Amino acid sequence: MQREFIETRVIAILSMILKVPVDSIATREALAQWDSLKHIEIVFAIEDELGIQFSEAELAELDSVASIVDAAMGRHAA
Amino acid sequence: MRHDIRIEGYAFRLRPVNDSDASFICRLRTDGYLNRFLHASSPRIEDQLEWLGRYYDRPDDYYFVVEALATGASEGVISIYDVEAHGKRGEWGRWILRPKSLAAIESAWLIYRVAFDRIGLEEVYCRTVAANTAVVSFHDSCGITNQRLLPNHFELGGRAHDAVEHSVSRASWIELGARLSRLAQLTARRIVRV
Repeated sequence: MQREFIETRVIAILSMILKVPVDSIATREALAQWDSLKHIEIVFAIEDELGIQFSEAELAELDSVASIVDAAMGRHAA
Repeated sequence: MRHDIRIEGYAFRLRPVNDSDASFICRLRTDGYLNRFLHASSPRIEDQLEWLGRYYDRPDDYYFVVEALATGASEGVISIYDVEAHGKRGEWGRWILRPKSLAAIESAWLIYRVAFDRIGLEEVYCRTVAANTAVVSFHDSCGITNQRLLPNHFELGGRAHDAVEHSVSRASWIELGARLSRLAQLTARRIVRV
């Protein structure tokens, strides 16, 4: 699965759940709406969309579009 | 106050605070990132033990440690306090979780269960420093619509800070509880079992 496709889907899901425009450099720290509850909703939506499952260790580290895309790419390569 | 309320969820539990938690509480409350919106705390364990001693004598104050079920590791702390004399309304707070903890949703779910199912409150509220936007957003994301701004409610570092109060009634808890339970269950499936 190509990175560009994954990034597009991740951004779309983040925008939908956070209800704000999100771009490729968005981070959890910069978006007040990206709280602990939204984070879980985001992660599970991305897992469903991409057919992957993040580990417990990864869940807490997925704090930006870039880190989510990197982790998703890693899951697809595995 | 000393109490014996213990409650388990899917991956975490709440159990009563005791003196052996003093060091952990000190570390949480003096963490430079976690304590941005907290009242100043002494880093001395002796001072924390003194505070706990006063807490044990304080009625209608329920302080818990959040623990991981699989390992018993401490994840954070959370409390219910200021329960009104007729026992129908109380506040929850002192909510601090270690960095990267996945216990936020489940610990909130569990404290609401304590409030409504164990203590028998009719309403529970949480007051958050307005500038603590992540936690304010968490309560908003829970779908809590009964909220109000309390101007200059907190004094931190010699300055007054506005607070946002989110209130949950027993009636609105039904839907909120179901939502938090579902999300806590999903999160728990990711947490490694020892």
